[in-house]
Amino acid sequence: MIDLLLIFISTLLINNLVLSSFLGICPFLGVSGKIESAFGMGMAVTFVMTLATSIGWLIYHLILVKFGLLYLEYVVFILVIASLVQMVEMFIRKFSTNLYQSLGIFLPLITTNCAILGAALFMVSRNYNFLESVVFGFSGGLGFSLVLLIMAGIREELIYADIPKAFKGASLTLITAGLLALIFMGFSGLISA
Amino acid sequence: MKDIYISILIFGLMGFTFALLLAILSKKLKVEDDPQVEKILNALPGLNCGACGFSGCRPYAQSVVEKRELFSGCLPGGDDTNNQLSKILGISGNVVTHQKLIVCKCQAKSNEKKSSNTYFGPLTCKSAHLTGGPIDCSYGCLALGDCIKICPTNALEIKDNRIEVNNQKCINCGKCITICPRNLFELVPSKKDKMTHYIACNNKDNALSVKKVCLTGCIGCGICAKIPETPYFLKENLSYIDYTKVSSDEPLENGMNKCPTKCILKINV
Repeated sequence: MIDLLLIFISTLLINNLVLSSFLGICPFLGVSGKIESAFGMGMAVTFVMTLATSIGWLIYHLILVKFGLLYLEYVVFILVIASLVQMVEMFIRKFSTNLYQSLGIFLPLITTNCAILGAALFMVSRNYNFLESVVFGFSGGLGFSLVLLIMAGIREELIYADIPKAFKGASLTLITAGLLALIFMGFSGLISA
Repeated sequence: MKDIYISILIFGLMGFTFALLLAILSKKLKVEDDPQVEKILNALPGLNCGACGFSGCRPYAQSVVEKRELFSGCLPGGDDTNNQLSKILGISGNVVTHQKLIVCKCQAKSNEKKSSNTYFGPLTCKSAHLTGGPIDCSYGCLALGDCIKICPTNALEIKDNRIEVNNQKCINCGKCITICPRNLFELVPSKKDKMTHYIACNNKDNALSVKKVCLTGCIGCGICAKIPETPYFLKENLSYIDYTKVSSDEPLENGMNKCPTKCILKINV
């Protein structure tokens, strides 16, 4: 139980996928303009990441390890994630119109989100068992949503500021992202090995 | 060599399984698109403005087909589009669509709005509203043009430090209503000849405070509310028009002429 909690906290804050592994930067910069869309994207990523790590774990251990095909993990994970996202999209579209309207536009974007692939590969390289992988995927997604929401909040407030011309737009966003990453470094002492 | 066979076999099998699953699921979970939705979508102007109360043209078309009614109708399309829609649906009879006009509820000119300070911040209404901005009235138009920037059809412009609406260009999308930090825009119903009256003031303070900041502000004197058969009424020191009670133009005109500060205006497109 303590192990799971440690994995949860460390993926959420300390080894945050976005700010310390620098994965999923594209949606982090692209969809963080408004809190509303950031929330939608975050929830969609959390959902898909949890599914991807759990299904990925099953496929890795039941198929790849058994047949000694570990070198195929990258390709297989890409295949799994892409088809998984498609299936999830179909299911949501059929059974929940409301959820489809709020998550629908983000799901196709997630197909190529490197944070999901990163999470699946981390799960393998860190030798997690099934339960640990699920918790890892879930907390990774939550960590992504957290950072995305913080970024969106800051960017919404920055509209009010009188920004010098040279810093407007992408440059200020990148500076903000860098500062945010520095701040999250402060969490690194939270759990001592 | 054996490795290659195995990897090709396993990977191929996996790919095939996923492809099969996806193919089956796409058949099983197919969401039937009603052909009427497409037809209605083609008849709509496709601006995705949201004036009908739905998030865009497609959701509107879907609800129209599902519920078989036009709700408040398509505002940018007007009567033509709405008649077309009811023809596609086969709803007979007349669909009641109200022509609406957008008005800006502060029409004080630059010499009428008093200003005792100079504003140095970013030139957007959103930030100026935080500090009070360039004018003394805390309800009035800041005239920094957030609405102009968001307007998709360039129907708004600043003339003499106030917003002028070009109702010929306006498509009633309501984007200015949401962006204005002082909530000055309002959609008011009008008649066939596109004529309507409105109160060009949003100041809810008492008469003394209004007089201090503006020459044409509504002072809440209530003269317009005392006319016989009047649609005007007072609330929070501000006059309003109850458009459901408008039966003839006469009391409206009467109120406009009697207003001591001339803040009741008439649009005639």
